[in-house]
Amino acid sequence: MKALGLSAAVATVGALLAGCGGGPGGGGGKISDGSVTLAVLNDQTAIYADLSGKNSVEAVKMAVADFTARYGDKAVTKDIKVISADHQNKPDIANSKAQELYDRQRADVILDVPSSAAALAVANQAKAKKKIFMDIGAATTELEGKQCNKYTFHYGYNTYMLANGTGSTVTKDGSKQWYIVYPDYAFGQDMNKSFTAAIQKAGGTVVKSDPAPFPNDNFSTFLLKAPGLNPKPQVLGTMQAGGDLVNLVKQYNEYKLQDKGIDLAVGLMFITDIHSLGPDALAGTKFTDPWYWNATPQNRAWADKFMAKTGKRPSFAHAANYSAATQYLEAVQRAGTDNSDDVVKALEGHKFNDVFADNAEIRAQDHLLLHDVELAQVKPAAEVKEPWDYEKILKTVPANEAFQPADGSCRL
Amino acid sequence: MILRLLARRPVLLALALVVAFALPWLIYPPVAMDIAAWALFAVAVDLLLGYGGLLSFGHAAFWGTSAYTTGLIALHTGLPFPVAIVGGALAAAVLAVPIGYLSVRLSGIYFAMVTLAFAQMIYFIVNQWRDVTGGENGLQGIPRELFGLDLSDPFLFYYAGLPFVLVGLLVAWRIVRSPFGQVLMSIRDNPSRARALGYPVDRYRLLAFVLSAALAGLGGGVFAISHGFASLHDVYWTTSGQAVMMVVLGGIGTLWGAVLGAALIVSLNDYLATAGFEETGIITGLIFVVIVLLFRKGLWGTARDLTAARSGRHRPAAVPDPPSSASSSERLDQVAERSGR
Repeated sequence: MKALGLSAAVATVGALLAGCGGGPGGGGGKISDGSVTLAVLNDQTAIYADLSGKNSVEAVKMAVADFTARYGDKAVTKDIKVISADHQNKPDIANSKAQELYDRQRADVILDVPSSAAALAVANQAKAKKKIFMDIGAATTELEGKQCNKYTFHYGYNTYMLANGTGSTVTKDGSKQWYIVYPDYAFGQDMNKSFTAAIQKAGGTVVKSDPAPFPNDNFSTFLLKAPGLNPKPQVLGTMQAGGDLVNLVKQYNEYKLQDKGIDLAVGLMFITDIHSLGPDALAGTKFTDPWYWNATPQNRAWADKFMAKTGKRPSFAHAANYSAATQYLEAVQRAGTDNSDDVVKALEGHKFNDVFADNAEIRAQDHLLLHDVELAQVKPAAEVKEPWDYEKILKTVPANEAFQPADGSCRL
Repeated sequence: MILRLLARRPVLLALALVVAFALPWLIYPPVAMDIAAWALFAVAVDLLLGYGGLLSFGHAAFWGTSAYTTGLIALHTGLPFPVAIVGGALAAAVLAVPIGYLSVRLSGIYFAMVTLAFAQMIYFIVNQWRDVTGGENGLQGIPRELFGLDLSDPFLFYYAGLPFVLVGLLVAWRIVRSPFGQVLMSIRDNPSRARALGYPVDRYRLLAFVLSAALAGLGGGVFAISHGFASLHDVYWTTSGQAVMMVVLGGIGTLWGAVLGAALIVSLNDYLATAGFEETGIITGLIFVVIVLLFRKGLWGTARDLTAARSGRHRPAAVPDPPSSASSSERLDQVAERSGR
């Protein structure tokens, strides 16, 4: 009986293998069946859901609607689809879904993809499938550095830009001595390095920089130590993000470090962080924001439309998704096709202004988007005139200073 | 009638093989490969939990160590990927020796906690050792080199990766049905008695731990090659937890159940990614609660009990059941007879 069962199994397997010629998933295939598909792959349930998530899908849909309205009958195609997937902040799911989006759902471009491990994995899929990937959510400079490729674009922000904007401006404004606390993983280490470089270049010194465990609830060790350092730091630079940032800021306020003459500068902050903490907890904090919804009337007009759809004001990630989708569609329009190689050519070196990006250029050498960014300060609650009105723009950092120069580490 | 036919082992085995080979036709191939790799991982955890009575909450250490080792071998030596996967599994086994040596003398919640602690140490090392592991960015761009064959198509790669999983499952099945497996189960049921009979309990447990780690490593290696990267997520405690969850859903101490649990969880994760629900965690949690409450012995365990009750057939003693069914002394007697003790 046993032998019979086994031979039956072997026979079945043999039959299956014989028919193995044209199974599904037979590679990239040809695109351009008259339709263009934009796929948003991001975190819709875990820690990045709020700052990007589902509302980024809405932003991309807005971009498509605006594009269709702008070109009407002259549009290269009227059949533009927006699809989305939730990678739950798991790189392996991001990787499988990216393949599926490119192969099965005929996605021509994947947008967003927060967190660097997921972004780098999707970049490799984009390279393998020769399809376009425009990353917004990840901060790592590897995307336009060693791990760059022809089909990957990095859009919006990165660790260098965050550090450079805040680090050098705050130092030049007179806060020369820094104490840096950073979460001890790749993002924090990169931020620490970039901040230190930016501060020193601007003539300041880093008195001390301490790694903190990640994730971490209790920052009292670092906060108690800060006033006693020699020389005494004038500003505490924190590279924490998300929940860690919230904890650190609360404790910074409890220890009343601001009254002791130590200002707070934050490496990466989203408007959603301010919204959840309340502006008073963060009042006076300086940070670099790639985009603020209430900075210009143009931004505000777009933010009003966004709010009508989602009930919230947009974070910079939402605006960047809108912009990336718009620029992709414009490139398709210019190229007259959604063939990836032609669209890459149309995107490379393209200079433009849109609601997200001022004086923008997609750098041809490494596919990094350069644009003006803002140095912002959180308003105290007394100055907040309406919900989400949290930021005062101190200064605009011009595009050519905001991002790192192309260092040649990227070979497309 | 059909049930009785299905309950026969050769029929079941043939059916399972057909499903295993047909899987990439039925679902998206990379997901099929994920199911296979996770199935092996869950079986490795079940080997320890269901047959050794040891709940490891740190198996991600072995899965992840192998994923990284496999990746590093494939990236830096250019050796064919099967060599890399075997290397990864070996690395996991080697790592399991000291960890197992220090933890198998504990049991219950203490064992779970100690294995979790070791796994977190591995996580920390992987996170910090950026020059080698890439830290949070992960180890990216792992090639699938096999003597110049183009395996970039996930559909084809499934058939290249499946043999590793099948071999791993076969090994697990052999371990459970060997005299060693019998001793392991009797230790699970009554450690003092096994010790009194002269069995070195800790050594048996250690060997089971190392074997389980090697199997988890085999799965982790396939996973890394399949995805083309290894990430911190692979060594994180949620990965250990997910494997335990698969075993509990499918049925502890059944092996088949672990495979079923893996298929269920991986497809659920995949489905929820595009289903458009906001709170995937709540849905996964609900399903877990429902299954644990309704099917006390997991999906497979309950199904097996049902078919056994219907057909009124008694199961052969060599097939392991949850602790209550066969007494440990019976098992040891059988082993003693077989091994001529």
